[in-house]
Amino acid sequence: MNKFKNLPVVRAIGFNRVVLIGVILLMYLVFALLTPVLHSGATFLKYDRILSALNYAYFIGFLGLGVTFVIATGGIDFSIGPVMFTAALVSGYCLTQYHVPLWLCLILSIVIGVLFGIINGYFVAYRFLPSFITSLACMQIAKGVGSVFTKTQSVTWPTEGNENAWFHYLVRWGDVPVGFILLCLVAAICAVVLNKTKAGRYILCIGSNKEAVRLSGVNTKKWEMLAYIICGLLAGVAAIFYVGAYTTVQPGLGDTFNNEAIAACVMGGTSMAGGLASMLGTVIGALIIALMQEGILAMGFTISYQYVITGIIVLIAVTADTLSRKRKN
Amino acid sequence: MGDVILTMKGIDKRFPGVQALSGVNLEIRKGEVLALMGENGAGKSTLMKVLTGIYKKDAGTITYEGREVEYNNPREAQEDGIVIVHQELNMMGHLTVAQNIFIGREPKNGFLIDDAKMNSDTRKLFQQLNIDINPKETMSKLTVGKQQMCEIAKAISHKAKVIIFDEPSAALTESEIEQLFKIIRNLRDQQLGIVYISHRMDEIKKITDRVTVMRDGCYVGTLITKDCTKDDIINMMVGRVIYETPKTESHVPPDAPVVLKVEHLNAGRMVQDVSFELHKGEILGFSGLMGAGRTEMARALFGADPKDSGDIYIKGEKVEIHTPEDAVRHGIGYLSEDRKRFGIVLKKSITENATLTCLPRYCKGVFIDKNKEKQVTKQYVDTLRIKTPGIDQLVMNLSGGNQQKVVIEKWLIGDSDILIFDEPTRGIDVGAKQEIYELMNRLVDEGKSIIMISSEMAEITRMSDRIIVMCEGRITGELDIKETSQEQIMHYATLRAGGSDNE
Amino acid sequence: MNEKRKSGLAANPFLKSLGTQQAIIVGVIIVLFIFFSLASVSFRKYTTVVTLCNYMYYILLMAIGVTFPLLTGGVDLSIGTGLICYAIVGSYVISNGHMPVGVGMLVVMIMSLIIGFINGIIIAKLDLPPFITTLCTMMIVRGLGSILTGGLSGVWPMAGSAGGWCRSIFKITVGKTIIPIGIIWMLILIAIMSIILRKTKIGRYILAIGSNKEALRLSGVNVVKWQVIAYIISGFFAGLAAIAYACTFSNITPGTGAGLELDAIGGAIIGGTSMTGGSGSIVGTLLGVLVISLLKTGLPYIGLQANWQQIITGLVLLAAITADMAKRKKAA
Repeated sequence: MNKFKNLPVVRAIGFNRVVLIGVILLMYLVFALLTPVLHSGATFLKYDRILSALNYAYFIGFLGLGVTFVIATGGIDFSIGPVMFTAALVSGYCLTQYHVPLWLCLILSIVIGVLFGIINGYFVAYRFLPSFITSLACMQIAKGVGSVFTKTQSVTWPTEGNENAWFHYLVRWGDVPVGFILLCLVAAICAVVLNKTKAGRYILCIGSNKEAVRLSGVNTKKWEMLAYIICGLLAGVAAIFYVGAYTTVQPGLGDTFNNEAIAACVMGGTSMAGGLASMLGTVIGALIIALMQEGILAMGFTISYQYVITGIIVLIAVTADTLSRKRKN
Repeated sequence: MGDVILTMKGIDKRFPGVQALSGVNLEIRKGEVLALMGENGAGKSTLMKVLTGIYKKDAGTITYEGREVEYNNPREAQEDGIVIVHQELNMMGHLTVAQNIFIGREPKNGFLIDDAKMNSDTRKLFQQLNIDINPKETMSKLTVGKQQMCEIAKAISHKAKVIIFDEPSAALTESEIEQLFKIIRNLRDQQLGIVYISHRMDEIKKITDRVTVMRDGCYVGTLITKDCTKDDIINMMVGRVIYETPKTESHVPPDAPVVLKVEHLNAGRMVQDVSFELHKGEILGFSGLMGAGRTEMARALFGADPKDSGDIYIKGEKVEIHTPEDAVRHGIGYLSEDRKRFGIVLKKSITENATLTCLPRYCKGVFIDKNKEKQVTKQYVDTLRIKTPGIDQLVMNLSGGNQQKVVIEKWLIGDSDILIFDEPTRGIDVGAKQEIYELMNRLVDEGKSIIMISSEMAEITRMSDRIIVMCEGRITGELDIKETSQEQIMHYATLRAGGSDNE
Repeated sequence: MNEKRKSGLAANPFLKSLGTQQAIIVGVIIVLFIFFSLASVSFRKYTTVVTLCNYMYYILLMAIGVTFPLLTGGVDLSIGTGLICYAIVGSYVISNGHMPVGVGMLVVMIMSLIIGFINGIIIAKLDLPPFITTLCTMMIVRGLGSILTGGLSGVWPMAGSAGGWCRSIFKITVGKTIIPIGIIWMLILIAIMSIILRKTKIGRYILAIGSNKEALRLSGVNVVKWQVIAYIISGFFAGLAAIAYACTFSNITPGTGAGLELDAIGGAIIGGTSMTGGSGSIVGTLLGVLVISLLKTGLPYIGLQANWQQIITGLVLLAAITADMAKRKKAA
C-alpha cells in the first residue's frame, strides 16, 4: 500500500484523488450492473449516458471550481446555484425578448455572476458578515431578481440548429464533449492561480490564518473579496454551460446545485476550515456527483435520493476533515 | 502549620513532542500558603491543571485527605473541594456577576432559577470579602481587576478546602493586591490549603509560608519562605542558566536620531494620550500590568486596530497609518504576543510565512518566483539559526522558539527598521530565550530600533535602554535604565489616574 | 430638541424594558402598517389581519426555535425544508395511512425532534460547523419528504371533514368573522419560552455557551448536553411550525421549503438576537417576525409579488446582520 502511495503518478495527483478516481470506476460498474436489474429494459452502458452525465458535470464543475476559491479562504458561498440560474435567465431573456446579440448575452451572464460575487465579497470582506448568512441572503435576492426580470416565466435559449445557437458547441460538438476539454482547461488555470500566483498564496493563507496575514501588512479584504468575485465569475460561466446542455431555465430554483458543488469540493479534499484546496479534486468530485445523478435516474429512482445522498456525503467528508485536523493538533 | 492535606508525587505529563512534567512532587498543608515558582514554561500551570482534572496525568499519584484521587474534569475536583482561580479570565461577558459566580450550581425554586437568592448570596459573599461590586452588573462592563475579584469570589464560594491562585495579581493594582492578600490571609486562618503561583518575588516574601520551585517541568526543591533570600529562590529557578544582571546604562548614543515619534495617540479606553519617541538603535521597554493597554497601544500604532486620534512621525516625517499595510510600507514590523493567532500561519511552510509581508517583491508579474523566494528564506534560516529539517517544513511542526524566529525572519525579509516585540519570549524555553535576546541585541547593533513590550520585570530591566511604564491606558512614567529599580517600575505600573487608589 | 425627545421616549418604561433596537423595530412596524394602509385601500380590511396571522404562525414558531441555536452562536438551516418534510409526511400518514389527525401530529413532532437531535449531536459532539451540518440535514429532509410520500403533494383535512378540527386550532369562524385564535397560543408559547430562556438552566446555559463556551466547560457544566438541547428546541419548534403550516394552508408540495428558514432567522436577527451568540430575546424575535410577515402580507397589496418579497427579505436580512456586526464591533 505504501509502495503504491509513493508512486510518482500517485504522489503528483494525490492519494485521495486516486481513491476518488477508483470510486468513479466502481460507481460506473455498480450502475452498469444494477440498472438492468432495477429498471427493466434500461442499460447504463451507452455513450449517451456518459455524455449526459458530463452535461451535468460541467456546470457543477464550474460552480465547484469557483466555490473552491471561497472555501479556501475559510468562507462559503450558498448563492452560486441561484446566481447561475439568474445569470442564465436574465441574459437568456435579453437574447430572446430584446434580441441582444448572443456574444453580448454570454458576456452579460458572466457580468451578472461577477456582480453577485462583488456583493457577497463586499459584505463578507469589508463588513465582516458571516459568509454563510450573507450568501444565503444573496441567494434570495438572486432568485427574486431572476423571477422579477423574466416576470416568473421560464426562458428557453435557442435550440441546436437554430440561429444564435453556436453556444451549444461549447458543450458538445457532435459526439465530442468539448465542454469536458474546456472544464479541464479552466480547472488547470484555476490550479495555476491558486498555487502559483500571489492571489492564490494570499487566498490560501487567509484561509489558514486571516489575522496573521493582515498583520503582515497584506490587504486581506481585497484578496478575500477577489475569491468571491472569481466564484461569481465562474457561476456566470456555469450558466452558459447549463443552457448549452439543457437550454431551458426556470426562475426560483438552483439552490440544490449549491450543495452539489460544495459536495464536489469537500469530496475532492478541499477543507471547509480553509487554507487547503484542490482544483483537480473538485473536478473529480463534480464527475462523481454527475455520475451519481445519472445512475440514480437510470436505475429509476427520483432525484430526491440525490439530495439525501449529497447531504450524507458532505456530512461524512466534513466529519473526516474535522477529525483529521483534531488528530493533528 | 497544619497537617498535610494534599500530596502530589512523581507526576509525569507528556504532550506531543514535549515532556511537560517529569517526576514532580508537591505537598499542600492546611492553614498555610504555598508558593509555586518557576520561569514561564516551567510547568506550574500544567501541574495545577493535572491536579484539577483539566489534564490527565501519565504517571504519579495524588493523595488528598488520605485517599488517592484522580479527577476527570474540573467539576469533580470542585465537588471534592479543590478549586482553581485561572490566570486567564474565564468569564461569560453577557451574563451578570451573580450568574457567573453561580454558573453550574444555580439555586432553584422548583423549575426556575432563583435569581433573587443568587443575587443576595452574591452580595453576602462580597460583603464577607469586602468587595464592592453590584451582583446584577453585566460582567463585560467591569474592569479587568474587578472581573478577577469576581473570579476569586467564585472560587471561594465553592466551600473549598484547597484553593489554587494562578498568577492572580497580574492584572491587579496595588490596592487590589492588598485586598487580595487580606482575603488570602483570612482563608489561611480558616485552615484552608492555598497554592499561590506568581512571578513577583516581593509578593512571595509577603504572603507565603513555603516555596516550591519548578524548572523545565521538574521539581527542584522546597524552602521555608522566611528562612531564605530572594537570591536563593532565583538560583533554584534559573539553575544552569546564568541570569544576566540588568543593563546598567543605555547603549544608545545620546545623539542618535529619532526614528519614530508618537504624539497624543488615543484608541478607545485602553490607549489614552500616549506620546513617546524611539531612537535609532534603541530598545525601548514598555512595562505595566496585564491590561495596562500596551498591546492595544502597539496595535493602534501599527494600524491593526482603529485609532481615535494622534500623529505618527517616522524619521521626522508625518505619516498616515490606518492599516497594517500602511505600517509595513513605512518599515514597521509587529511581533504579536499571541504568535499562533496573530504571528504565523501555522499550516503553511516556513517559506510561505517568510515572504508574506513582501510577496510582491518575489513575484514575476502575477506569478510567484519560487526559486528567489526559497533562496532568501534559506539565507535567513541560516543566519537566524532556525532549527528545521528544511524550508518546506510546516511552521506548526517547529518549537516555540523557532516559530518566533520565523516571525522575526518574516519582518527582516520585509525590511522593517522599527520592530515592535510584544512579549517576545512568551512560551519559549530558557535556552531559546537567550538566543532571542542575543538576536535583539544584534538587530539594534545593525541599526534597527525596537519597542519591547514585556510583563517580565527581569526581561525589561535586562534588555531595555529606556523604559516607559503604562497603567490603565496612560503613560505613567518614563525611566532611564541607569536609575531604574523594579520597585520603581511597580510604583508607576500601579499609578492610577488621580492616584485615588494609592492612598 | 432631538435629544429631549429621545430621552422622553427612553423614559417610557415599556420601551425601556425592550431596549433600543426593539424600540426601533416597534417604530418600523408602525411605519410599515401606516404605509401599507395609505398605499392600498384593500389592506385596511380585517381579512388582512387574518392573512398576516397565517404567515406569522409558522414563521414565528420557526423563529422562536432557531433563536436558541443562534444564542449558542450556531444556526439551524434545516428548519425550512424540515417544516415541509414533516408536514407532508404528516399528511401522508393521515390520508394514505388513514390515521387520526392526532397521530399525524405525533409523527410530525417525533420526526422534528429526531432531526433536531441529530443536528445537535453532530454539532456538539463532533464539533462540525453548525451551518454546514444543518445544511446537510436540510438537504436530507428535503429529499426524505418526497421519498417517504412518493413525491405526491399533500393536504391536511379541511374544515368540516373528518379530522377537520385541526383547522380550528388556529382560527375559528364565529358567524361570518374569522377569529385568528392562534394568536393566543403564540402568546402563551412566547411567555413559556421567555421564562425558559431567562429563568431556567436551559436558557442560562445556552446563553453562556454563546458567550464563552470554554468558561462554561471549565465551570464543570456538560456543554455538549445543553448545546444538543438548543438544537432539539429548534427541531421541536420546526415541528410545531409544520403543524401550524399544515393547519392554515391547504397545499403542501414536497421538495420545497428552502428559503423559509431565512424568514425565521431574519426575524430573530432583526429582533436583536446576535449572530455571534450570547444575547437576544424571544420578544425581540416576535417583533422581528412581525416585520417579516408584515412585508410578506403587505407587499402584494402594493403590487409586488412573491419574487419581490424574496429580494426584500434578502436585503432586510443583509441590513439586519450588518447592523448586528456593527453593534458588536462598537461594543468590543
